[in-house]
Amino acid sequence: MERLLAVINVFARVALIFGLAMLLPIGISWWLDDGALTAFGEALLTTLVISAVILLATHHARRELRANDGILLVVMCWILLPCIGSVPLLLGIPGLEIADAYFEAVSGLTSTGATALQGLDELPPSLNVWRTELNWIGGLGIIVLAVAILPLLGVGGRQLMRAEVPSPIKDIHLTPRVAETAKGFWKIYIGLTLLCILTYWTLGMTWLDALIHAFSTVALGGFSSHDASLGFFNSPGLEMATIVFLLISGMSYVTHFMALSGRSLRPYLRDGELPFYLGVLGVSVLMIALYIWFEGVYPDFPTALRHAAFNTISMAMTLGYSTTDFSKWPLFAPLWMLFLCSFVTCASSVGGGLKMMRAIILYKQISRSIVRAMHPNAAILVKLGGAVVPDKIILSVLSFSALYMVSLVCLTLAMAATGTDIVTGFSVVVTCFNNTGPALGAVGTDSYGTLNDLQLYICSFAMLLGRLEIFTLLMVFTPAFWRK
Amino acid sequence: MSHPLAVLRVFALALLAFSFTLLLPAAAAWFGQDETPAAFAAFMSGFTATFASAVCLWLLTRRYANELRGRDGFLLASLIWVVTPAFAAIPFALFFPSMSFTDAYFEAVSGLTTTGATAITGLDALPFSVNLWRALLVFLGGMGLLVLTVAILPLLGIGGRQLFSAESPGPVKEVRLVPRMVKTALYLWPIYFALAVACALGYAWAGMEWGDAVLHTLATLGLGGFSSHDASYAFFDSPVIEAVAILFMTLAGMNFATHFMAAQRRSLSFYRADPEVRWYLGVMYASVLGVAVYLWQTDTFPDFPAALRFAAFNVVSLATTAGFFNTDYALWPFFAPLWMLFLSSFVSCAGSAGGGLKMMRALIVFRQVTREVVNTVHPNAVRAVKLAEASLSNEMVFAVLAFTFAYMVSLVSLTLLMMFSGQDLVTGFSAVVVSFNNAGPGLGSVGPGATFASLTDFQTWVCIVAMLLGRLEIFILLAVFSPAFWRK
Repeated sequence: MERLLAVINVFARVALIFGLAMLLPIGISWWLDDGALTAFGEALLTTLVISAVILLATHHARRELRANDGILLVVMCWILLPCIGSVPLLLGIPGLEIADAYFEAVSGLTSTGATALQGLDELPPSLNVWRTELNWIGGLGIIVLAVAILPLLGVGGRQLMRAEVPSPIKDIHLTPRVAETAKGFWKIYIGLTLLCILTYWTLGMTWLDALIHAFSTVALGGFSSHDASLGFFNSPGLEMATIVFLLISGMSYVTHFMALSGRSLRPYLRDGELPFYLGVLGVSVLMIALYIWFEGVYPDFPTALRHAAFNTISMAMTLGYSTTDFSKWPLFAPLWMLFLCSFVTCASSVGGGLKMMRAIILYKQISRSIVRAMHPNAAILVKLGGAVVPDKIILSVLSFSALYMVSLVCLTLAMAATGTDIVTGFSVVVTCFNNTGPALGAVGTDSYGTLNDLQLYICSFAMLLGRLEIFTLLMVFTPAFWRK
Repeated sequence: MSHPLAVLRVFALALLAFSFTLLLPAAAAWFGQDETPAAFAAFMSGFTATFASAVCLWLLTRRYANELRGRDGFLLASLIWVVTPAFAAIPFALFFPSMSFTDAYFEAVSGLTTTGATAITGLDALPFSVNLWRALLVFLGGMGLLVLTVAILPLLGIGGRQLFSAESPGPVKEVRLVPRMVKTALYLWPIYFALAVACALGYAWAGMEWGDAVLHTLATLGLGGFSSHDASYAFFDSPVIEAVAILFMTLAGMNFATHFMAAQRRSLSFYRADPEVRWYLGVMYASVLGVAVYLWQTDTFPDFPAALRFAAFNVVSLATTAGFFNTDYALWPFFAPLWMLFLSSFVSCAGSAGGGLKMMRALIVFRQVTREVVNTVHPNAVRAVKLAEASLSNEMVFAVLAFTFAYMVSLVSLTLLMMFSGQDLVTGFSAVVVSFNNAGPGLGSVGPGATFASLTDFQTWVCIVAMLLGRLEIFILLAVFSPAFWRK
């Protein structure tokens, strides 16, 4: 109990800081006088009061958190912060149901970008800013979490961080080096965002649209202030710029960090994931462009290539912007895009899914198994970027992937049990689980509003499960976690 | 150290033995009523071609009598399951003048891999001999599979198969391929035959005609799912026959090594000691109950007993990867058939003719994942993955996990191929799943109400590859096509 109170105490502090993030939409709302000021004001006030009360009530339980407490804290944050995030939406959009609002906030924070709202163009701008700000906070949050907690969990793919353990919260032990890395990530993230805002603005967006879209682009979220997403602007230049920012965001922040701190491009050359990352993307874009061109979706190849390039990369990076309703393309193309979103982004990036690093390790392990079957005594090492991957990590990568697949299957079965057809159910689960956004079938690239409450909660759960890389969420539900 | 020519020699002998089985339907076509001369001619041509090819092959390779070892098993198993169906398809291609070779080969592969998906419509109107050949292929495939899964796969260590041989009756230490196969066959085939006799008697007692009883016994024991009626078991519309079928499908889905031990020592304790059996029965029958309640609640059937009857038969049939049906389950609310497809991918036990991942691997994956979760909670805890009280080495767990992953990747890739060829998702995905798990009818336009004949040639080939990959546990086929295999 003491332990739980201590965690709740830290959580209240996080909630307090999270609530202050509403100051940005409040400022914008006040300046533009868009009518959402009271909604944000009330939401902020409620958050501050409740957090303060909890903070005071649990003050005596304050103590240092241990590793397992950190996990509990993370889970608590990810499940409860969306509740706070959904309050302005509930107050600002009359008639919005709680399930939709919670879904929207989870989708925001997990940087999924699936929306249950329609008529985005008519929303008060400050609400759209809040939605994409959720994307932005979530994108950053997950990296800090990754640096801080995932390596401690031994979850494969984060081994680069293994040496630098604890947690982002100041009161927990923080070695100087972790702080440095985390700060470095913040700097890169903010720098990238500013650069993105500037680029979008130069290419013809209003400063407000530029801010909104930069927030969700850099976080690989996918919220937009237009129902038509980036198709609204219909500008190839803008699409090119977006692709560049996507490719940067989908790479490992560790590599960016090393490149910036060493002022050299060598870390990119040594990154074992990059060749696969770029290769898979390049081949897929070409293949889909040719496919939809042959199928007659677009009359000429350049148009097909333009739409294939943007939508494929947007899906593969788990962003989820679209320039056209690609769910109407012949089924193979969107299915391939869903397939890509499940593994293409690099480890330690802000993207979702299995991550390229795990995919490479799996691929190498399977080849090793085949060779081992023929040469039982052969000693074969799995290597990545020139370094040997220890067996322990391979084992946890394999377990993680197995769990990933099982989760996909179970969630799809759950959706089927609620009565969706297979295309809708399966695509919704894949896209939520990989934190991507657009789906196929009844949901399509536009809105999840057609789903019922139960289905929305399943989707919210899928997004959280995917964002927390399954284990973190699952651990809290094991008896072993609660045992002394 | 492999000897491709020596492997060919052994394969020639196997093909020779196989050619004689063609005489059985030929005899049926000669002596039976309602038979056509075309059927007899088709089987005799098939026999002649197979026999002649086998003899030629043997004459060419008889000098290479090297002892076969582990690695040769890859090539031997691949040859048997890829090449033999080409000969088995000859009677189909000759008897149905309008049938393409692709469809004939599909039918033969479906039989020998004990899948039971058919590309033929109008089964009721076929001569007995043709249906006998289809059912016989399943039965022979089942015989081959027992040897493959109990003797060869553990020797090759495919996907952690070594594990499964721990309790097997055969010569565990024997490394020479042929003696190992022969001994295993001598242990397991008598059990297989005994169950077949019991099953045929059961069917006859429950009211099938003798002809149908024989045909359906052959398909039940091999978990193949070929029937002599388009409507499969709905033709009989008899709960008693269905109960007999459920019993024997359940038995055929268990490890035959366990059957053997139990029969030899006359004790049921071996079933209790088998780590798979309780999960196999538990998952399968819990699903029967769950699906029955679901069907009843969604008003698919008016009352619970009817729902239970149809749920029991179809769930057990798909979970054991037999593939019979007594109603068109593709028309049920979507969750039920999807769950059944899910079951088909892992429920049947190692050492049976069932397909999919096998319960053993599912258990190991489950335990490894649990261990990983607990280890993240208690990073310093040392825990081993245990099966039947014995801890497994990491090496073994690796192999199982890698296999599971290769299985998933194959499923996804083959489904994408089906989509690429323009199939809809339900048909494409379910066709791949049932083919890969060697289960039988799928959903959509390959559901129980239809056949695989509606697929294009390309799609049929995708299904053929899926059946073979599934049956040869992926790695065998992949290995034979890898350069490393052929390197000196």
